[in-house]
Amino acid sequence: MHVPVWFWFALVVLISWGVVGLLQKLSTNHLSAEWALLWLAVGFFILEPWLYPGRVIFAYSFRSLGWAFLGGILNALGAWALLAAMKRGGKASIVAPFTALYPVVVVFSAPIVLHESITARQTVGVVCALAAVVLLSTESSDTSPH
Amino acid sequence: MIPEALKAKWFWYSVCCVLCWGGWALVSKLGTNEISAAGMQFIFAFGFIPVAFVALALKRLEFERSLKGIAYSLGNGILAGIGGLALFAAYRSGGNTSVITVATALYPVITVMLAFLILRERLTWLQIVGLGFAVLAMVIFAL
Repeated sequence: MHVPVWFWFALVVLISWGVVGLLQKLSTNHLSAEWALLWLAVGFFILEPWLYPGRVIFAYSFRSLGWAFLGGILNALGAWALLAAMKRGGKASIVAPFTALYPVVVVFSAPIVLHESITARQTVGVVCALAAVVLLSTESSDTSPH
Repeated sequence: MIPEALKAKWFWYSVCCVLCWGGWALVSKLGTNEISAAGMQFIFAFGFIPVAFVALALKRLEFERSLKGIAYSLGNGILAGIGGLALFAAYRSGGNTSVITVATALYPVITVMLAFLILRERLTWLQIVGLGFAVLAMVIFAL
């Protein structure tokens, strides 16, 4: 069985962001959404010395640099909204899965924006994954500790 | 259940998050066509500065001293950064953007399990079925 390269990167994303989902809730138990966002940004900057790509950064086109920067802004706005959702009573086990539905935007936009299409098997996988996220965001009627 | 959710503020904040992150995933793919994964994460972090300061300025919030909250948020940033780096690397590997985005968005599986174990939030049987679907999706993507 040939596992695609991207799959291994995806596993790293799953584990790290899975823990992030929990830390978001824990941080907003102690801080406002706005301060949680600021310290989250500081956390990003702790990694910056290891990420600095060197002088090659000046060789990238303004367009690509703009996409990367715009990505940061959009992600920050999303993170702000997510932290605000958790601060305003959203449970980690509901809000985290619900906000993970953002690929729906990508699945519908990618054929137009990126001119990409997916295979029949991948479509089945996408449907299963989205169904999983929807089911994971269903609320428990009893929130008492187990 | 749905009308109740529609009345809740957290629901609408979550919808905003979905739209912003959908846009983020698309522009990230466009950026990774040229920029390395490390370079993307490096530049991406700068996008947080204006938003964080606007958020604080709008709220006129005073400094909050909770060391626990700060530690959780810093850990949040570091782990989110590592995940972002891996996502950009996945985009650069040439895989399909929709498939990679969907697969990596299955991270709530880990969150829900941790919320169950650490926060003691209860799992519904629907959530357990959801975990099954998530595993099935990952197996299909891995084939």
